[in-house]
Amino acid sequence: MAEETKNKNPEIVGFACSFCTFKASEMAGSLRMKYPEGVKLIQVPCSSRVDPAFVIKAIFEGADGAFVAGCHPGDCHFIKGNYFTRRKIAALKEMFDAFSMKEKLRLFWVSAAEARRFVEKVTGMYNEIKERKNEREKA
Amino acid sequence: MKGKKLKSGDIENALNRFLEEQQHLVLGFEKGESGVSHRVFKDSLDHYSLLNPVFGANAALYLRRLFSKGSQVMLMLRPCEIRAYVELHKLTQIEREDIIAVSIDCPGTISLKEKKGDIPTDAGQLMDYFKNPDSMRWACSVCREKRGVLGDGGVRIDKAGNYWVIPYTEKGETLLSLVEGEPEDVPSDMLIGESKKPDKFQVDMTTFDKDFEKCIMCMNCRDMCPVCYCIDCVFHGDEYLPKGDALLNKIFRSGSTKMPQGKELFHLIRMYHVSQTCVGCGACEEACPQGIPLTKYFKGISERLQGMFSYMSGRSFDEPIPYITFLEDELKEAED
Repeated sequence: MAEETKNKNPEIVGFACSFCTFKASEMAGSLRMKYPEGVKLIQVPCSSRVDPAFVIKAIFEGADGAFVAGCHPGDCHFIKGNYFTRRKIAALKEMFDAFSMKEKLRLFWVSAAEARRFVEKVTGMYNEIKERKNEREKA
Repeated sequence: MKGKKLKSGDIENALNRFLEEQQHLVLGFEKGESGVSHRVFKDSLDHYSLLNPVFGANAALYLRRLFSKGSQVMLMLRPCEIRAYVELHKLTQIEREDIIAVSIDCPGTISLKEKKGDIPTDAGQLMDYFKNPDSMRWACSVCREKRGVLGDGGVRIDKAGNYWVIPYTEKGETLLSLVEGEPEDVPSDMLIGESKKPDKFQVDMTTFDKDFEKCIMCMNCRDMCPVCYCIDCVFHGDEYLPKGDALLNKIFRSGSTKMPQGKELFHLIRMYHVSQTCVGCGACEEACPQGIPLTKYFKGISERLQGMFSYMSGRSFDEPIPYITFLEDELKEAED
């Protein structure tokens, strides 16, 4: 039983900046908002801590998707960390695009106050990946 | 642009004059009995060859962690090797002060693995030899920069087959001053022209799996890559590619696994890590015992990723590597 549900529901690994996105997810929790349980957050001190190797490892060791989320550009706690994130993840997306699996990776900005935006973003991503997964299983 | 035309023997004399000084070295090519190979010359040149039609390894590999104090090293290498040297300088693996990098026009090379019989070392004969594109290495047939326009100076070949020494920086003048004769205007038309822009690289994981099926994870590609320089590679240790107990624990956690495991992980992570610095020399493919078309992937991905930032690895010393710099207003389409 456990195996079955595990296969049907996608698992998403999210790398969340501890100053913005992770705070937003905590706020979403305290406001009793619901987001899919397949979304597993990993707290990182800054989104630029995410070496694209982490994302590649997550995806090739079983995750159906991965996202990197941080503060809006210009609002980084470390002044300019997320500008580097943007370059790195944009390049990684381009690489995934070259391997025809662009849909597996997302990058978005969520500030600590935007709990609703966080829930919308992750739910949207989760549903899209789930749909694609179901389609593939049917085919 | 001013340069000096070389008569036969001129470059050997110039380099010999350079080597007369104490602690001066030349890294170039030597024509031996069995073929042409890299050699570091001390005191005087012996069987020196300006061109090397055989590709075995990228010489920038030997220059990693070169912080020569007080000595002078003249590099007389192919453009791809000079490009890798420029990238390694940007990655602070080489100090530039004591190095004079001279790139030499490269008509193309053949693989050391497939070398049969004698190959000419003269530019004109080589161009004829490579008329048939199949005789060239694949990496060289799609090379982005075969012209000696990089580094401190260049040796170019004009349409008539004459060699020219052209300085690009102050250090390049050192070589020029060692060559006899007066500087003349360099002809604008050269034997080796600009390479054409590559097509956009597109592939899928099925093709990837098929191409990398033969991979045995020996990691020769990593060890021979001139720009894959980390001393503490992420693939050391048990984090990414577990062995022994760590491997068993992982299998108990995640289920049965095909061995050798982690092929996609290894190649994709390496592909990303060298994406902005890869010069597309094809040293990885030369080192691969299984004949996997690594250049196709590494070169394709790196050109796509460098294209995003209008960057070309090894083009100049002044361009910073895109991942360590940024613009405040860019890449809006990357956000979801």
